Amino acid sequence: MINVKNLKKSFGDNEVLKDISVDVAPQEVVVVIGPSGSGKSTLIRCINMLESINGGHVMIDGRDLTDKKTNINEVRTDVGMVFQHFNLFPHKTILENITLAPINVRGMKKAEAEEKASVLLAKVGLAEKASAYPESLSGGQKQRVAIARALAMEPKIMLFDEPTSALDPEMVGEVLEVMKQLARDGMTMIVVTHEMGFAREVGDRVIFMDNGYIVEQNEPKSLFDAPQHERTKAFLSKVL
Amino acid sequence: MDFRFDIVTDYMPFFLRGMGITIGVSLAGVLMGLILGLIIALGKMSSNKWIRLPFNIYINIFRGTPLLVQLLIIHFGIVPMFMSPSNPLVSLVIGLSLNSAAYIAEIFRAGIQSIDKGQMEAARSLGMTRVQAMKLVILPQAVKRVIPPLGNEFIVLLKESSLGSVVAAPELMYWGQAAAGEYIRVWEPYIAVAFIYLILTLSLTYLMNYVERRLSTDDQR
Ligand SMILES: Nc1ncnc2c1ncn2[C@@H]1O[C@H](COP(=O)(O)OP(=O)(O)O)[C@@H](O)[C@H]1O
Ligand SMILES: [Mg+2]
Repeated sequence: MINVKNLKKSFGDNEVLKDISVDVAPQEVVVVIGPSGSGKSTLIRCINMLESINGGHVMIDGRDLTDKKTNINEVRTDVGMVFQHFNLFPHKTILENITLAPINVRGMKKAEAEEKASVLLAKVGLAEKASAYPESLSGGQKQRVAIARALAMEPKIMLFDEPTSALDPEMVGEVLEVMKQLARDGMTMIVVTHEMGFAREVGDRVIFMDNGYIVEQNEPKSLFDAPQHERTKAFLSKVL
Repeated sequence: MDFRFDIVTDYMPFFLRGMGITIGVSLAGVLMGLILGLIIALGKMSSNKWIRLPFNIYINIFRGTPLLVQLLIIHFGIVPMFMSPSNPLVSLVIGLSLNSAAYIAEIFRAGIQSIDKGQMEAARSLGMTRVQAMKLVILPQAVKRVIPPLGNEFIVLLKESSLGSVVAAPELMYWGQAAAGEYIRVWEPYIAVAFIYLILTLSLTYLMNYVERRLSTDDQR
């Protein structure tokens, strides 16, 4: 479903991703962990072409994002993204936040889009907030709306960049719960997170990144209980 | 000093007509400035430096030279290429439009760039094109932030329209000078004209404060 081959990315002289290769199978949940600055965000932003790529290839469903002929906007409709800081549209109601792209990008009828948005809002437990503005929501509620907004495009893949890092501790659970449900429903997911409990419980595979490389990857139990590399051990001893 | 109110009352019909023209050319100037300014702002934010270049040059020329000079070049140089005789009102509106477009472009650019980058990224990640993201997400938010500086620009433009008098555009200042010439008096015509400008700019300031208050209460929903 996702094939990253020898991906390289630099900001000026700073090489942030140094030859990353990773494949994600349909319905797989891959959790990416690693110290701050190791390139986790840059990796998933490259998968959505929010960053330009300096070398290598990123394939989504067989379409090469580095190929100039590929319609990036079309690929992006298949890839939902959830950001650390939610990035809801403050001038739109919750319902409008969710229907904006389906109506304008997919060309969906307004009534149909709203009906679908209501179903999604109910799914993330916020049916009663449809006509509220983002400002009036708590962080956890905002992030659940952001997930519903991404899902409204019916993506095949969901990318999460530290979706709970900006939340007060008591709100982390409600967001993780929505993500767990999504994983159970068979969504293909890449999740950057520091929530090791989530990684262990939901992840099919955990990738440990450091300094622009994938140092180690394995199923959660093996990686957490028997890390092979010194750097993985050092990192886990700090966060577990 | 004796202040001859009869001069002011005699000339009032002309002052009022001039005021109407001052308001008209300022409105026309700011409206065209808004349209041109948006185009220039978007051009200046292009990721391609060769596209940015002409817009940068435009802004630098029109902000870096006096409006008076621009107006004289437009009236005696450029407009005569297209119509003869040159029409002072046409020249004045063109001058105000082109000049305010440069300032308004910078207001728009600052407003657009003040919107968090995450907004564009969220819109693009949902599959919107750059143009869709601008139109649906960025510009509606930027509008609120640019209204106060745009109001200021309008006030500046209204006052600068008085330069139309040097090309004999019959706006308010033109009639002030006409009265001064006819009666060979300084105080009455110029004070009357100054007073009318003051009423116009103070009314605009009041209107802007009202709009700003309305916008900020909208934010608290
Ligand atoms: N837009 C950018 N411009 C310049 N450097 C950047 C930019 N984004 C990230 N970086 C740099 O890339 C490196 C990796 O960043 P990031 O992918 O955000 O790491 P992580 O998400 O693992 O904390 C850091 O050194 C960061 O400073
Ligand atoms: Mg990050």
